[in-house]
Amino acid sequence: MKVNGKIEDNYENYTEKSKEDIDLTVELGPLTLRNPIITCSGTYGFGDEYAPYCPVEKLGGITLKGLTPEQRLGNPLPRLAETPAGMLNSVGLENPGLEDFLQSYLPKVRELPTTVIANISGFSLRDYEIMANAFQAGSGIDAIEVNISCPNVKHGGMHFGTHPDSAQEVIALVKAKTNLPVIAKLSPNVTDIVQMAKAVEQGGADIISMINTLLGMSIDIERRQPILANKVGGLSGPAIRPVAVRMVWQVAQAVNIPIIGMGGILTWQDAAEFMLAGARAVSIGTGNFVNPLAPLEVLEGIEEYCRRHGFAAVSDIVGLAH
Amino acid sequence: MLGKAHIIAHDFVGDPLYKIRRLILRTEVAREAQPGQFVHVQVAKGMDPLLRRPISIADIQREAQEITLLYRIKGKGTEILSEAKVGEELSLMGPLGHGFTLPARGELILVAGGIGVFPLLPLAKAAQEKNLDVSLYWGGENKGFFTSSGLDLWQEARIPVFLSSMDGSIGEKGNVLDLLKKQVGSRLNHGEGATQAAQSEVLSVAVCGPQVMTQVVSDYFLQKGAAVEVSLEERMGCAVGACLGCVCTLKDKVSGRIYRGKVCKDGPVFKGEEVLWDYEG
Repeated sequence: MKVNGKIEDNYENYTEKSKEDIDLTVELGPLTLRNPIITCSGTYGFGDEYAPYCPVEKLGGITLKGLTPEQRLGNPLPRLAETPAGMLNSVGLENPGLEDFLQSYLPKVRELPTTVIANISGFSLRDYEIMANAFQAGSGIDAIEVNISCPNVKHGGMHFGTHPDSAQEVIALVKAKTNLPVIAKLSPNVTDIVQMAKAVEQGGADIISMINTLLGMSIDIERRQPILANKVGGLSGPAIRPVAVRMVWQVAQAVNIPIIGMGGILTWQDAAEFMLAGARAVSIGTGNFVNPLAPLEVLEGIEEYCRRHGFAAVSDIVGLAH
Repeated sequence: MLGKAHIIAHDFVGDPLYKIRRLILRTEVAREAQPGQFVHVQVAKGMDPLLRRPISIADIQREAQEITLLYRIKGKGTEILSEAKVGEELSLMGPLGHGFTLPARGELILVAGGIGVFPLLPLAKAAQEKNLDVSLYWGGENKGFFTSSGLDLWQEARIPVFLSSMDGSIGEKGNVLDLLKKQVGSRLNHGEGATQAAQSEVLSVAVCGPQVMTQVVSDYFLQKGAAVEVSLEERMGCAVGACLGCVCTLKDKVSGRIYRGKVCKDGPVFKGEEVLWDYEG
């Protein structure tokens, strides 16, 4: 409902009315979302942490915290450092491990009233194989995002994401082992993002999500040492958005598979930039920490944007800036 | 709760030299807040700093729907927060975290280091309402610090307070552990060893302060057989247990399993006996 050109506060009324107007559904290859708003892995726990603040059923989807075959305690602290319009993190893939996840978390995850994407990581091809095997259609997980781009662990994650041949190989392996849609999450810490995107497309990825965090560092000048115990960490937040938008733009021109755009989205205007650059869906990460209602506000804003410009479906705006 | 809180009062506590601010907010958080919990406050209107600031709840007025936050201006975030004016609104998440356990009976000793005293007052008041024997042992730099950090709030509440100052300008000279050993050590000695279980039924201890102080005080009372709870502090991102930025390391007493606890969600209050203070890795 529009009152004096502004979105009225009453969200229920607003969405009920607007659903008639704007088609929100998005097709990401084999994966259909009720709307284009997802939350990023590592920023939304296992899906219920933010439930008191943001209704899960309004989201297009959520991406779970990255999982590895074995439990990981992650990196020492400090793990966070703030930077202007952003933050560095070096959590180091802390997670309960596959077995504990399946036993203790999956039963609740299965009940989440939205599309659930599992994020998997590994230190070897065997790790990715184990993870891919665990998630199949009917398991309560709707898609697998393959993290080949974690900057916070040695000898894993990002290695696969910075070498095109390795990236293609790991995606092909995961694709062979699961019947779920496979999303390849790209690292921006490469010389040529397009080359990486083509490699994962070649490997059989159904969808690309991009970008993961940018490797960065912050130094405590009084103590004269890095703030993060891990010394380096991944930069996220609005500071990285122009880099992310540029990369989505480049990749959208080079591949035929859909893109989930992410990197510093706080507002609907940010999300619109990604969609116009070629992302079919967008994902909100660090923005949730600042404003837990960001996913809803972004969705409302995108709908209103479509209405204002006469688009019948959100998918109509994808790639229009090209 | 995520919403706006109205600023009712915002001023220095005592001498501005100590940079301790009192912020009274009218908010729904007052209805649910428990001792030891905190709120996550948006301080900047822009993006530097980007993240909210976790601040412990220093007083709860349920009828008036008000909470008091006490904080020290220490960095960019608190500097900006200190500029917020009466009548303005702040975006607030809370109440958050797992607070202190109010003992069923017996004696409750509160131990604070510096501004770690702030989350302890609501616990003291709750203990008082329950007619528990409650007292505060508080270490700080000097007399000016105490009078600028809400000492009068404790005196108004008629809670016995024992102080130690590094320069001896008020209370005992030295640190708070020295004070505790002197003031309560003698009557606790019989609690060591075989009578530990009995001791923990009658003596509970809540500790909040710098990590080293919290650790030594926790270990001291655990040796004496008391039930010890510690409130931990860490840099936080989400404050709801989603980002894993603020974890601590815990050891399950029964199984011996080592695992991470989320300071924001599982804590900030943990059992002293379960915290692995120096875990590396």
